[in-house]
Formats: sequence, C-alpha cells, structure tokens
Amino acid sequence: MNTLQRRFFDSFAPGARRISFALTLSVVCFLFAFPILWLILTSFRPQSGVYYVYKGLDFTLSNFGQVLANGRLVHAFINSAIVATVATVFSILVTVSSGYMLSRFRGPIASGWFGVIYALRTVPFVTWVLPLYFVEQRYGLYDTYAGLLLPHIAVHICFFSWLMKGFFDGIDPSMEQAALIDGCTRWGAFLRVAVPSAIPAIAALSVLSWLFSWNEFLFALILTGQHIPIITVVMTQFVSEMGMQWNLMAATAVLALVPAFLLTLFGQKYVIRGLKI
Amino acid sequence: MKLNNNWQRMFGEQQRFMLKLIAPAVTVLILFQAVPIFIGGTASFLDWMLYNPKKTWVGFANYASVLTDPAFLKIVLPNTFIFMFASVTISLVVGMALAVVLNRPFRGEKLAKTILLLPLMVAPVIAAIMVRWMFNDQFGIVNVVLEALGGEAQPWLVQRWSAFSVIVLTDVWLWTPWFTLLLLAGLQSLPKEPFEAAAIDGTTAWRVFRYLTLPMLRPVIIVCVVIRAIDAFRTFDTVWALTGGGPARETELFSIYAYENAFVFLNFGKGSAAAIIGALLILVLGLVFYRILDRVRKVS
Repeated sequence: MNTLQRRFFDSFAPGARRISFALTLSVVCFLFAFPILWLILTSFRPQSGVYYVYKGLDFTLSNFGQVLANGRLVHAFINSAIVATVATVFSILVTVSSGYMLSRFRGPIASGWFGVIYALRTVPFVTWVLPLYFVEQRYGLYDTYAGLLLPHIAVHICFFSWLMKGFFDGIDPSMEQAALIDGCTRWGAFLRVAVPSAIPAIAALSVLSWLFSWNEFLFALILTGQHIPIITVVMTQFVSEMGMQWNLMAATAVLALVPAFLLTLFGQKYVIRGLKI
Repeated sequence: MKLNNNWQRMFGEQQRFMLKLIAPAVTVLILFQAVPIFIGGTASFLDWMLYNPKKTWVGFANYASVLTDPAFLKIVLPNTFIFMFASVTISLVVGMALAVVLNRPFRGEKLAKTILLLPLMVAPVIAAIMVRWMFNDQFGIVNVVLEALGGEAQPWLVQRWSAFSVIVLTDVWLWTPWFTLLLLAGLQSLPKEPFEAAAIDGTTAWRVFRYLTLPMLRPVIIVCVVIRAIDAFRTFDTVWALTGGGPARETELFSIYAYENAFVFLNFGKGSAAAIIGALLILVLGLVFYRILDRVRKVS
C-alpha cells in the first residue's frame, strides 16, 4: 500500500489501521505473557482447585507458606543467590580487563586470545562439564561453592569478553593516551580512565551475568550434591517428588522468578542501552 | 589501530601488559575448560565404567559404538539439527517482526516492550515446568481450551513429534526476546537519512524493509544467528525438564545423550566419546560461522 492508497483508505475508516495494529500487538503480547500469568494463577490456587484452575474463585497464600517451610528449598534459594552474586563480581573483575585488552591492542596475542575465546565458547557445556566432575572430585571441589562458581566464571569469560570489547570499541581511547602522556602508568590509564567510562557497560553485564547464573542448570546438576542444593536443580527433582502437586510447583517457580524479575525491572534500561553489538 | 606511536615502540612492555590483563581469565579457562576437555578426550579412548575402577585403553571402540548406535544416528543427530534450525529460524523471524514494530513510537510502547522482553529473565527450567503444566494431558489449559473449541485432547508430551514441537515452541518463547532486544538496538543505531528519503518517495513499507532495513541490519542479524545457533546446538535444560528426552528417548538432543550415557548408564567412556563428537561437529560449524563473521566485519 503506498501513501496515496493509505490516505484513501483512511478517509473511509479513520483509525482502522491503528486499531488492527493495536489488536494484533495486544494478542501477541498476551501470548507472550500468558505462560507466566498462568503460572502465577496456579500458584495462588488451593490443592483442590488446581486441576480446574480456571474454575472457582478460591485463592490462597498457603502454597507459598508450604514452600518456605521446606528447609531444603530455602537453602537452595540462598545458595543460588550466593553463587549468582559472587560469580557476577568475579566475572566482571576478570572480563573487564580481558575485553579492554581485546579492544585496545592488535597483534598475535590479541587475535590469538580472541580465537581461544571463540573456540571455547563453541564447545558444548557437556563436553567439559562431564570430565570436570572427576577433576572436582579429585581435588575436593565437588559440591562446594568454589567448585560451582569457577565454571560459571569460565563461561562468562568467553561471552562477556566479547561484549566488553564492543563497549570499549565505542569509547574513544584519546583520553587514555592523554593520561599516559601526563605520566600515568598503563594500569593507571586502564583503571582510572577506561574503567570509569565503562560503568554503564559493567552495569549491563552485571545484570546479565546474575541472571545467567541464577538460571543456570547443567553445572549445578553435575557439580553439586547434597551440600549445596541449587534452586533450578531442586525444582526439577520436585516435579517427580511432588507428583501432581502443581500448585506447590508453581509457587516455587514464582518465588524463583521474583528476584530475576526485580533485577530485570531495575536493570532493563542499562541492558537495552548497553547491549549494542 | 588508533594507538599512539609511542605505545607501539615499547613493544615488549606492551606485550607484558597485554598478558597481565588476560592472565586471570587465562588461568580460569585453562583449569576449568582446557584441562577437563583434555581429560574428556582421553576418557573417550578408555573403557571407563563408573562402577568399575579399572580403565583400559580401547582405542576408537567408544566412537564406533556411538556412531553405530541407531538411536544416535536416527534420533539424536536429526533431532539436534532440526531443533537448532527450527528454533533459530522461528525466533529470528518473530524477533525481527517485533523489533520493527517496537522501533516506531506508539502509545503503550513501554508496556509492550516490557511484556515482550519478559521471557528473557525466565530460567529455561522454569519455562519448561510451566509449559509442562500447560500441556498436561489431563488438566493442562491447552487441552481444556482445545476441548472447549470442539477439538480432541491430545497427549502432547507422550508422542514424539508433538513433544518435539512443544520443546521447539518453548525454546522460541524463551529466545525470541533476545533477538528482539539485539535487533532493536541495531535498528536504532541505523542512519535516518535513507528512511526519510524513502518516505518522501512514497516507498511501500515492505520495500523499505526488504531493500533498506534488511541489508543494513545484516551484520547484526548474522552475529545474533551465530551466537544463538551455537547455544541451541547444546540445549540441555529445556528438554531435560520438559520431557527428560522421552517418550522413550525420542526427543533426546546430543547433550542429553552424552549426559545419559555417562551418568545414567554409567558408561563414562561412551558418554565422553559422544560429547567429543558433538564438540567436533559444532567446531566445524563454528569455523564456517567464523568465516562469515569475519567477512561481515571486513565489509562493514
């Protein structure tokens, strides 16, 4: 439809195009939100109402009470939060310098490092986490915080160095050069000039890193056992243990969504601003 | 490139600085990725059962056993590639459409953006549990709606292709926002002038998209597809929590196959061989992708 035709149609039915646009978009938004809405609705239904979630109006908070009374689940929530937070701090510390190096320097070391990062990122997780289980068993790292944290950091290095490089590419290096001429050391130029200007990027990566670690499943499944229960793993075990108690299942899932949701809500603007390839 | 000449003259010192910058990252990667990959590589040549401490060298026997396993050839491999292709294609198309829509201002834009980006924060495991409940054969809402519309309730998760489609659907739901986010960022950084010129000429929306937006956005699209394809190849959580590879191991992807052989059937040698075969497959694909990426980087 060209502009002329469009004006012609609009003169007959003013706003018809806008209404159909709004309608289509609303349907799409509804379809995207529906699974989460359905989960939330299920989590507030009593045991008896859960099989006919769409019928009746009994709502209850007791599902959440039951979930929070379960020691293992609460333990798992705390562990997941600890692992996600510590992994984020260390991932950022390690990747900022690595991304800076990729962005500011050329030559065999830089391109070699880029190649290594790319190659290791393509390696499927199973390929290195299966044998990692034996390495960790041997050195007493299995089922400890460190044993779970370090692989998380390893994964983040590969992805975030790449993103961090992109951010530093967008920052003009002339400030750092000026600092060097004024007698600043390389480390001074990096830490006092480059890093402060990368704060928005660091914020964006922190949000992503926390979400990735909070949502991670495979590492926790293989590398943890009884001592460090992790929420994603405990949840999948519950599907079989709880049998058909979908109301409890839903309440657990909703509780696991809350921190991620709050973080996304507050961090959204950094991520959208920071995520440019 | 933009570096001062002074910097380049002090080459030795600069190289030392470069190495110091990446030293912590290199240490973590060696200990937690390179060493395990090496051990896994070695294990794939051993007869290593987890209940038996004796490990004997068997050469390529594990590889032969994986590559002649009909389950691997007829189910796991096709599943993995069909899954990768379907998931990436559908989320790219839907994500692109949403990015184009969200790129112009309209009322309620912020709300729509928040809703459409919602799945980004949901753990694949949670998404899988959610979908499993929705597609429950007795009480799931999907069957309820289907019956209300006069259809027949389906046992979605116990038939191979319907279970497989549900898995793909879940993955598309999870990752479409990721495409939308990155493509939207790409759209917003495009120059305005060509679009203004097209608007003055009265070009149709489709032609603007086909001949302006798409070619200009190509580098971003390719980066997104490459990253996503590599990740889709190794998908584990969604399938594990949704069907566990069932019914009768018919929706297994390669990661699940390797994990099951190692930790369920306790044949660590065969599991490692499967894991290495998968890594080699994706490495070849990755090299092809790398070439494409490199070409795009040089053109843009």
